[in-house]
Amino acid sequence: MKLPDRQTVATDAKLLLIAIPVAIWTILPIYHMFLFAISRKDSAFSGNIWPSHPTFGNFVTVFKEQHYFLNHFWLQFWNSLFIAVMTGVLTLLIATAAAFAVSRLKVRGGRWVMNLALFTYFIPAAFLAVPMYRTMGLYGLLNSQWSLILAMVTIASPYAIWVLKQASDKLPYELDEAAVMDGATPVQLFRLVYLPLMMPSLVAIGIYALLLAWNEYLYAFLLLSKDTSITLPVALGNFLSADDSPWELLMATGFIYALPPAAIYYVFRRYMVGGLTAGAVKS
Amino acid sequence: MATSNAPSAAVLLEAPAEKRRLTTWEFWGLMLIVPYVALFVLFVLYPVIYGFWLARHPHSYIDLIDDPIFFRTVINTLIFVVVGVLIKMALALGLSGFFMQTRPWIRWLSVLFILPWAVPSIPTILSVRFMLNPEWGMINTQIFRLTGEDGPNWLNDPTLALALAMAMHIWKSLPFWTLILLAGRLSIAGDLYEAASMDGATRWQKFLHVTWPSMQALFLTCTFLSMIWTIGDFNSVYLLTGGGPADLTHVLATLGIRYLRLDRVDMAMATIIFAMPLILPLVYIMMKRFSK
Amino acid sequence: MKSPIKSTVIYGAAASLAIMMAAPAFAQEKVTVWWVKGFYKSEDDALYAAIKKFEDATKIKVDLSQYAVQDMIPKTVSALDAGTPPDVAYADVYDFQVTGKWAYEDKLADLTDVLTPIKDRFEPAALSTTFLFDAAAKKKAYYAFPLKQQTMHIEIWSDLLEKAGFKVADLPKDWKGYWDIWCSKVQPALRKATGKRDYAVGFPMGVDSSDSFFSFLTFMDAYNVKLVDDDGKLLVDDPNVRKGLISALTDYVAPYQKGCTPPSSTSWKDPDNNVAFANRTIVMTHNATISIAAKWMDDMNNERLSAEERAKAKDYYENAIVTTGFPNKPDGSKPVYRTAVKTGVVFKDAKNLENAKKFVAFLLKEENLRPYVEGSLGRWFPVTKEGQKSPFWAADKHRRSVRDQYASGVVPFEFTKNYKFTILNNENVWAKAMNRVVNEKVPVDKAVDELIARIKQVAG
Repeated sequence: MKLPDRQTVATDAKLLLIAIPVAIWTILPIYHMFLFAISRKDSAFSGNIWPSHPTFGNFVTVFKEQHYFLNHFWLQFWNSLFIAVMTGVLTLLIATAAAFAVSRLKVRGGRWVMNLALFTYFIPAAFLAVPMYRTMGLYGLLNSQWSLILAMVTIASPYAIWVLKQASDKLPYELDEAAVMDGATPVQLFRLVYLPLMMPSLVAIGIYALLLAWNEYLYAFLLLSKDTSITLPVALGNFLSADDSPWELLMATGFIYALPPAAIYYVFRRYMVGGLTAGAVKS
Repeated sequence: MATSNAPSAAVLLEAPAEKRRLTTWEFWGLMLIVPYVALFVLFVLYPVIYGFWLARHPHSYIDLIDDPIFFRTVINTLIFVVVGVLIKMALALGLSGFFMQTRPWIRWLSVLFILPWAVPSIPTILSVRFMLNPEWGMINTQIFRLTGEDGPNWLNDPTLALALAMAMHIWKSLPFWTLILLAGRLSIAGDLYEAASMDGATRWQKFLHVTWPSMQALFLTCTFLSMIWTIGDFNSVYLLTGGGPADLTHVLATLGIRYLRLDRVDMAMATIIFAMPLILPLVYIMMKRFSK
Repeated sequence: MKSPIKSTVIYGAAASLAIMMAAPAFAQEKVTVWWVKGFYKSEDDALYAAIKKFEDATKIKVDLSQYAVQDMIPKTVSALDAGTPPDVAYADVYDFQVTGKWAYEDKLADLTDVLTPIKDRFEPAALSTTFLFDAAAKKKAYYAFPLKQQTMHIEIWSDLLEKAGFKVADLPKDWKGYWDIWCSKVQPALRKATGKRDYAVGFPMGVDSSDSFFSFLTFMDAYNVKLVDDDGKLLVDDPNVRKGLISALTDYVAPYQKGCTPPSSTSWKDPDNNVAFANRTIVMTHNATISIAAKWMDDMNNERLSAEERAKAKDYYENAIVTTGFPNKPDGSKPVYRTAVKTGVVFKDAKNLENAKKFVAFLLKEENLRPYVEGSLGRWFPVTKEGQKSPFWAADKHRRSVRDQYASGVVPFEFTKNYKFTILNNENVWAKAMNRVVNEKVPVDKAVDELIARIKQVAG
């Protein structure tokens, strides 16, 4: 084996000079969250870099719902999951249908619809939150989880449509022609030709919408409020109004809540990077 | 967008003999587009019209301008958007170059580097908030241990707090933009660099003459897009500083929600309408760029 | 052919929508109640018990929804907007932020026929805060019902104070001496004794907090400042008001300027002084309920905690923590406390107005109200004369202190006279004035002039 030459070592050293601050910067908030999650209540406030008596007791407390603010932990976890999955599914349905209609069926007014979608995509979601919150009240949907699902689908679909249309435009039109010659109906074309070829983009978009809904805080806390219908982020926010702010439990819950998106991201990151960086995603 | 040279199925089907089937295709096209259009009308168009209607009275705007924190909020928003985004995009551009390096450990670092974007905001931002607590937080405790002096009053100093909210925003969204710019860099043809190397170009010259010209358009698109979304960044400010101390670190996004909670939805809408001159030109530029 | 997933989802969605829409069709005699989530289980349990009794007695179904305190106002406002308000609603923050405003805007039902027959059972001062002005009807009437009340207390860790070499009983009784000793003597002595970065006091100064304005207004009361008369007219042009405000603000920011309240107290929210106190990083704080002490009482009876933790909580509640009133006013007279009466409302547009009134009347009966108020472990003080005489309030030293403070006489908030003060409190002009002085180094008199200008602009 060849020893690395001096120049490679020097470059490596320079790269490390960048890498170390980047690593610390990235990991510090997450490490601090983990640190709190494994601290006992009495040492959580000590400001140490490592707890004197690390414990997984906080996680047990969370899983067994042994705190007034955690009485519905599993239900809220389920709520988050349900809302995220429904958002993913509905976004896929609506966006795939629209992208197919615009890109393959060349429906009249398709360009117009794309512009509407793009416009919605660009408007920051936080600004749409105020009027949307009030309209949900008018629709009588407040406190129903459907209000959050529909809101998240509204926010996720413009980008989904745009990405799917881009991907769809790249499919060769000869395929459609061949299918039409064989007497395929639009539905058959959609199911037998379009869907299989679009699969990678669909996975990426489904996960994008799912993570968007799972991570959402603002809309969730505006639209839901019963203890039994809120999602985990809202429950985490409510911790802050507790008299004795149990930060170690808050951080343990937060850590548990952060794991699924991190895991999903890593499992599907090939799809995600390829599927999403084509355009841009709401950060 | 729709610039494919291949004749589309719809065009093909415009043969007169197939007139009846043509309507089936149109029918399905409409059926498939209707769900999204309905979603748009119900949850975007109507709320926006309703919102404008709520803010129809001039007194909402007068009350808003009279609110002593309004002016400060506008300034904060501008600083946040201009300074925050420029720093972020400059870092993203630099780091995308760093992640181009092909070493196994850099690939591992890039996996780690994505974490802030992948994990939810609320627990991480609250974690930082606690870390910065002047009495109990890890940072000031360590400063006190090392120096015997009290550390800065991080989130209770308006300037520092706003800077930290920007840092939080950068922490959260830097990975994403780095990834996009990395994708941009990867699409530059390698022989351009080789040719530059043959001419004896330095690293900086390569950046200036090869990388930047190919990346310029992407970089500008990303910067504008990032600016629009940063104007709407609610979490970084709300969860870190809550707009404090003394409501001095609000941005327009958090101010709007604050009015909503104070039962002044008209002022909340007025705040959003005030943000429109900031947003709409950017949106216009983006629409042009994206629908090319 | 349809994809099976797709049709399941569509049918699922359709079914859920159908269920949501069909729900009102099954409605019988009922009353919709929105109530804030309690701080303690015992509080909620007492409410559920009262509701159960009401349902059994009247056969009216109570549809109860409970929300976190910060959600109550946005939810209610949104429901009012949509024309679907609940029949009865209560939140701990209504009186501070919306009750007066809603009465003024003609959104509340007149409860005079409910309250008049039982008028004599209530403390007159408390009841008077629900006698509000309706601009459309051009009359004052009982547009809300009183449930419970709160005032300012001082909480002290007596063991920490002793570590610093002082006893609660030996603290000065005069205004200047009392506030001075914490910064000049207690803190240096304590830091010397423990070697830790402890602070003598915790002065809530956050804008996003009701503790800060409640505390500041108590300081203002000590200087005998009256901002409004009984008709709600502003009195801020009186030079004595300006002088009093300057003195109160000077006293209130002094601990921060001397470094004896934690630096973060300028952005404390309501729970933060509780947290600082519970972590024993401050020796004293003022708080608008005795929740700081009551937390330990809750812990000592919490079976999920270990025997050791419960014993410690018991020691804290019964020995270490002391609840007291304020020192004498600067003019030497006894302090008078500012009370915030917590008010519930019935909406004018309520769909079940008569049932709502029946529910309110039922809940206000002593045998229903008392367990609910006492379920909060001393956090809220009764508004009924009989409730105030309950043995509950003589059971321990913290509650006795609350009872004695109330016995010495109370004054209401400005917003019960002029509802626009709710806006000033929401904006927290008081905490902003503090921050002008401590963060932006504006002189106190200039900050007070700005404060007065804003009061006139909003409430004039």
